[in-house]
Amino acid sequence: MALRGDWVYENNGGTCVAIAGSDYCVVAADTRLSVGYSIHTRDYSKICNLCDLLFPADKCVLASSGFQGDMKALQKNLAAKHLVSVHLLHIYQHQHNKQMSCPAMARLLSNTLYYKRFFPYYTFNILGGLDNEGKGCVYTYDAVGSYERVGYSCQGTGGALIMPVLDNQLKSPSPLLLPARDAVTPLSESEAVDLVKDVFASATERDIYTVRFPIFFFFQFLAFCESDIFPTQQHAYSSRVLNDPNEYDPLIGFRLSYRIMHK
Amino acid sequence: MDPDLSAPHSMGTTIIGVTYDGGVVLGADSRTSTGMYVANRASDKITQLTDNVYVCRSGSAADSQILSDYVRYFLNQHTIQLGQPATVKVAANLVRLFSYQNKNMLQTGLIIGGWDKYEGGQIYSVPLGGTVLKQPFTIGGSGSSYLYGFFDQAWKDGMSKDEAEKLVVKAVSLAIARDGASGGVVRTVTINAEGATRNFYSGDSLPLWHEELEPRNSLLDILVSGASPEPMSI
Amino acid sequence: MEKARVDLPPKGGFSFDLCRRNEMLTKKGLQLPGFRKTGTTIVGLIFEDGVILGADTRATEGPIVADKNCEKIHYMAPNIYCCGAGTAADTEAVTDMVSSQLQLHRYATRRESRVITALTLLKSHLFSYQGHVSAALVLGGVDITGPHLHTVYPHGSTDTLPFATMGSGSLAAMAVFESKYKEGLTREDGIQLVGEAICSGIFNDLGSGSNVDVCVITKGKTDYLRNHQLPNPRTYISSRGYSFDRGHTEVLSTKITPLKLKAEVVENDAMEE
Repeated sequence: MALRGDWVYENNGGTCVAIAGSDYCVVAADTRLSVGYSIHTRDYSKICNLCDLLFPADKCVLASSGFQGDMKALQKNLAAKHLVSVHLLHIYQHQHNKQMSCPAMARLLSNTLYYKRFFPYYTFNILGGLDNEGKGCVYTYDAVGSYERVGYSCQGTGGALIMPVLDNQLKSPSPLLLPARDAVTPLSESEAVDLVKDVFASATERDIYTVRFPIFFFFQFLAFCESDIFPTQQHAYSSRVLNDPNEYDPLIGFRLSYRIMHK
Repeated sequence: MDPDLSAPHSMGTTIIGVTYDGGVVLGADSRTSTGMYVANRASDKITQLTDNVYVCRSGSAADSQILSDYVRYFLNQHTIQLGQPATVKVAANLVRLFSYQNKNMLQTGLIIGGWDKYEGGQIYSVPLGGTVLKQPFTIGGSGSSYLYGFFDQAWKDGMSKDEAEKLVVKAVSLAIARDGASGGVVRTVTINAEGATRNFYSGDSLPLWHEELEPRNSLLDILVSGASPEPMSI
Repeated sequence: MEKARVDLPPKGGFSFDLCRRNEMLTKKGLQLPGFRKTGTTIVGLIFEDGVILGADTRATEGPIVADKNCEKIHYMAPNIYCCGAGTAADTEAVTDMVSSQLQLHRYATRRESRVITALTLLKSHLFSYQGHVSAALVLGGVDITGPHLHTVYPHGSTDTLPFATMGSGSLAAMAVFESKYKEGLTREDGIQLVGEAICSGIFNDLGSGSNVDVCVITKGKTDYLRNHQLPNPRTYISSRGYSFDRGHTEVLSTKITPLKLKAEVVENDAMEE
């Protein structure tokens, strides 16, 4: 087994929330890193684009809380795998001529976490985005890779405070029902954003590690298209940032990032 | 940084007692720390027991305060019963008694100094276990380890009052320069036939030793022309 | 330093055997019930005509905020107040105990309580419990001898200072005092500085938060400014609100037991004189 002293892990706190709708997905996370009673920084995004620099992954984002060192290592690992196939050292897009889909990334994340089963990444993750049909999807994880597709989820130090509220407001259908029902919530996207803002404001009052102003990521499906970039793909996506990704709403203090899937 | 504020309040200290021709000089620094944090930078570690006897405290602040409170109480009672000032020997013996009887509860070392008409100026050292030692001079606390050689060289029998006080201030400033647990200002108490006199030497009036730098304003103040005497007000 | 501790049977005082047993059991993995240990910022300073005390209002239980607006400035006497940090139960109990002792002492002597009396009662109680009563206090008041400010540590040691801070936010607050405190501050400047020091704790120490309480004690007058500042208002209120339909909770069975009205008429014999 690898080195396991007391110093290996630290919990840097923070909270992530994601809600999936029929044609959208909202992912939000607060921006503080702390340890004990001290604050490391008030401005650190827990949401990762996975391969921001070269190809913005427009199908999903990863929100994580836990130990920042492991968060960063996990994100680098995933970003590399997204681009590079593990065995052949070929860029994923080169192999498949498309970006990795959200469900594929979800499986990859699970495998990546379980690979370190006996010296885990001390991270608690949510993957949010749109699936191949343009439906919002949220995947929630434990630290060693157990995962599940759900309609909404939250993780981190404020998770236990927020989850019951989401359960109450978004009540997802039982997974035992037959035929299987959609896990997505019936809320409109503006209602979902409103709910997320409200639960963050509430969690902040009772959890000392959650901060008031979360960063939002917002996916919306507009239409399938045949893109110029990937002409062979029948259902290719392209994306653009609608607003300045760090747009700051001075009235509420929330920063909003929009990613819209469109023709 | 973890300053460990829950650690018991203890005085990493330099305390000194010196006899001279006609009396004694007691000296101490003024730093009280909890773990890494300086809880008090201007504390008074020289406590009055009677009109003519003072004590320098080191070790656990709580233990040494309580101990000297008890000793002061009993000495006052003793003075009333006797109808005349308590001798330094009696004070030292009371400190010894409490230190010895409660040695499993206490973490404190003290230096008792004073003047009485029978034996003149006397210094008694009562270290951790409850020993009592009458000495011409004694040093205590964490800073004392830096001072043994200095005192072997510098202490002389039959010094004048001013020589003794200069020696004490110099010694405490030397210890402050080397011992991280000592710092702040130097306080002295001089006791002789005339009574007791307190003196105070602020940190910036102390001599500078090897590799110590002149105090100067921060870069911020220098940048703002016409630097104000308040170091933090820009 | 040498260790002087010798395991002799103690002659008197309290026995801390159970504390040592509990320490040993915790080390072996026993979970003892947690109690409200407040991360705190408390401060005090002396100004031109008295003493100003300040405190934040957050009480925590681990990472959870247990009380968003608690009172940490405790009453000791009309002219003496005391800020408490550490275990909430201990600070509350120890200040209550001493304040009633002071009240009885006032009844007996018909004189205003002195700060030094409160200080001695506090320190001797805390010392006798050898740090197991975890109360860290900032004691302030004005008596016949003038304004006084003291800090009291859980082990029973005390300090006398012109300005003092305590609790997990004490470093943040002390940074403000060390840079801005001056002798002979006016009342307004004093309150302003205390507010600034507490806010520094509220914003930089996660154990402290919510509002600022201030207590100004001058000769013959005490002003307790509860919630003097409210720097953490609610940031967002949902525009929709939350409504719960009738029948949200399923009723499985109903049983109604009516109260029986029982009137008893007692016939009173006329009182004979």
